[in-house]
Amino acid sequence: MKRILLGSMLMAVSFGALAEAPGGPGCGWGNMLFKGSKGLPSHLVASTTNGSSGNATFGMTSGTNGCRTDGTLTYDGKPMLVVSNMMDELSEDMAKGEGEALTTYAVVLGVEPEDRAHFKSITNQHFAEIFSSADVTAEQVLAATLDVMKRDDRLNRYVRS
Amino acid sequence: MRLKSAPYGFRGLLSGLMVRGLLWFALIGCGAVQAAVPALDSAKRSQLSQHEFWLLLNRYERDAWGRWRSHVVDESFFLSKEGLQDPQAELVATLKALYAPVRLADQHAQCVYPARARWLREQLQLTDLPKVDCPAFQQWFAEINPHHVVLVFPAAYLNSPSSIFGHTLLRVDPPEAADRGTSLLSYALNFGAAIDDADNSMLYAWKGVMGGYPGQFAILPYHEKIAEYNRLENRDLWEYSLDITPDEAVRMLEHVWELQRFDFDYYFFDENCSYRVLELLEVARPGLRLTQDFHLTAIPTDTVKAVQEAGLVTQVRYRASRERELLVREAELTEQERTWAKQLAEGERTLEDTEFQRQPTARRALIQDAAYRLLRYRATGKDRDTQTARRSYALLRGIQDNPPNPLEVTQPEVPELGHQSRSVTGTLGQRESRTFAEYGLRMAYHDLNDRLTGFPLGAQIEIAKLAVRQYEGGHWQFQNLELAGIRSMTPRTDLLKPWSWQVRGGLERVLDQHEQEVLVSHVSGGGGVTQAWTDQLRTFGLVTARLEHNRNFGAFLAPALGFNTGLLWHNTLGGFVLEGSGDYFHNGTVRRQFQATQQWDWDKNLGIRFSLRRDFTQGFEPVTEAGLALRWYFY
Repeated sequence: MKRILLGSMLMAVSFGALAEAPGGPGCGWGNMLFKGSKGLPSHLVASTTNGSSGNATFGMTSGTNGCRTDGTLTYDGKPMLVVSNMMDELSEDMAKGEGEALTTYAVVLGVEPEDRAHFKSITNQHFAEIFSSADVTAEQVLAATLDVMKRDDRLNRYVRS
Repeated sequence: MRLKSAPYGFRGLLSGLMVRGLLWFALIGCGAVQAAVPALDSAKRSQLSQHEFWLLLNRYERDAWGRWRSHVVDESFFLSKEGLQDPQAELVATLKALYAPVRLADQHAQCVYPARARWLREQLQLTDLPKVDCPAFQQWFAEINPHHVVLVFPAAYLNSPSSIFGHTLLRVDPPEAADRGTSLLSYALNFGAAIDDADNSMLYAWKGVMGGYPGQFAILPYHEKIAEYNRLENRDLWEYSLDITPDEAVRMLEHVWELQRFDFDYYFFDENCSYRVLELLEVARPGLRLTQDFHLTAIPTDTVKAVQEAGLVTQVRYRASRERELLVREAELTEQERTWAKQLAEGERTLEDTEFQRQPTARRALIQDAAYRLLRYRATGKDRDTQTARRSYALLRGIQDNPPNPLEVTQPEVPELGHQSRSVTGTLGQRESRTFAEYGLRMAYHDLNDRLTGFPLGAQIEIAKLAVRQYEGGHWQFQNLELAGIRSMTPRTDLLKPWSWQVRGGLERVLDQHEQEVLVSHVSGGGGVTQAWTDQLRTFGLVTARLEHNRNFGAFLAPALGFNTGLLWHNTLGGFVLEGSGDYFHNGTVRRQFQATQQWDWDKNLGIRFSLRRDFTQGFEPVTEAGLALRWYFY
């Protein structure tokens, strides 16, 4: 009996069992734009059980090479869930230059509050460079963002080379 | 361990030394020396094990025979073999386990039961507890970093009336969340059924209601919950910031750690998400009483009310669903512009289309935003497809080039302002020449005439509705018993084309002989369309089917096809419904009915209802019935 969901998140499993090769598919690197969200088969189900269909990571340990040992995309040791799991939201916010996903992206990249408006405006201007095609992956989005930031006088201090 | 804080002078010093010794031995791989487990006299044991906080921590409740039993149905949750039924045995076993050798590390009781450990340490001043490292717990705890707690209520979605009950979960924010301006990095704490994905949809729903699945707590990224409710289920989210201190949040999360992986009984109506969420808040703040009123049913809005009444809510925030946003955007467009949006979304036209380019810039911004939203709305829950992705991307580029003005969604009235969920009704009526009084009770929840505040127009869900009638001269009769009645009249727009549907079943009286009513059992359902004329006015038309057991019919079960059409109007008095329906039985019987009902909302929990109804059954005189009802919503 396979259970979708829930308990899985409470870290019942040992970290070792979750370990994933750096850059592996579970890392979120390969997540493509417009993958969309999926869930339980029907509303009726969702509302009588309130179970959830997510199988999100609940990993804790930092890994190297852009992945935590649980296989989550990271940058500078911090999880980049906003890129790997919220790409749709992020792309829309960036195209519009505002929104909570974009704020979150600034936060996880370590951008200080006083530079966040600037970050939003710069990434909005370079939207086409950061989201360069419909098939762009999380890895490419992160790399392109860092590239854009590196070229900006106010944002380059946030990029760890 | 600080010697200064030890309350018992020499003993404290001694125990402090013992702990140090213990740590030292643990370091060199030998845990032979242990602090002594304090011996409790039977009065103290009994007092502590009956303490309401101990009972709450381990979910003990008295059963019908007055014996203790825990709601955690998993025996491995308990340290004592009798723990499931014996609070005192569990207390003694826990106390002993807290003094176990520290080399157990993550498996040590102090790591497995941090909330029990904290409480016992405080109650018994256990200054000599061995100091255990709990890397797994500490990592987990540091990642969540609890500081602030928010009660999250995903509101009902019209086309899914069963969601009218709603759901509640908690969001746990780290200290920096407020300054960040985003809660997408917080964690959600959810209690739900653990589902077996081999079951099909109907079985899911059935087992969900009947308690066929165990319930479990889960911690997961909050943004996933937003995606699930806002995007996938089209439910608005209400976020109630709670006046829970950081210390209380810590206590609650320590307790959640204890409960991880353990199965609870899960029942849709009472021991559900909302009940468990209230229990967690009671753990956070000992002495807080929130669950006592919910032993029969815990409807999520009622739990929101309970939290409001306890004065815990400091701030309310509303997050509109993606569907609502799309509808708000659509409302800004003309009919021609909606056609553009649809064509752009479906790929019949592109942004480069010369005719489209001739539209004013600001209008184009709105149209392409609506097109993008529509395209993503339709793609939700489906596999990624290259064509849709290309079109979405092209629209995003267009949006970046020519952004629309920000969407302004008016916040609806907060759901907890809605009427109470149970109701009783007293009716005085006249059926042809006979006067009657009728007494009705409904366990839950809302029908099309009920006060609309806090509910979506056109949604009905009724559970366990019963009425008895007393005619002039003292003749009593059982009038009806509806097990469930669900109606969903969702309007179609230019961009969204949802179906309307209804289903109900139970016992009811139908006209059979002149002015005689016969009690039949039935299941009926229908599907069709609803049109919105204004925000307050809708018409609907449905094709229906019915299966009836009627003792006056030859066959055991008689099938019928029919129609149900009508009008919903929310006016200044309250809800008005005018509807006609017909059932054409396979055996030749034809039954039609016409009904008008107007509710006058007197106040939040009191309504007056006028109804007029005429029944036609082929071969009999039609019968008219009028009624004036007083309706009181309680609990």
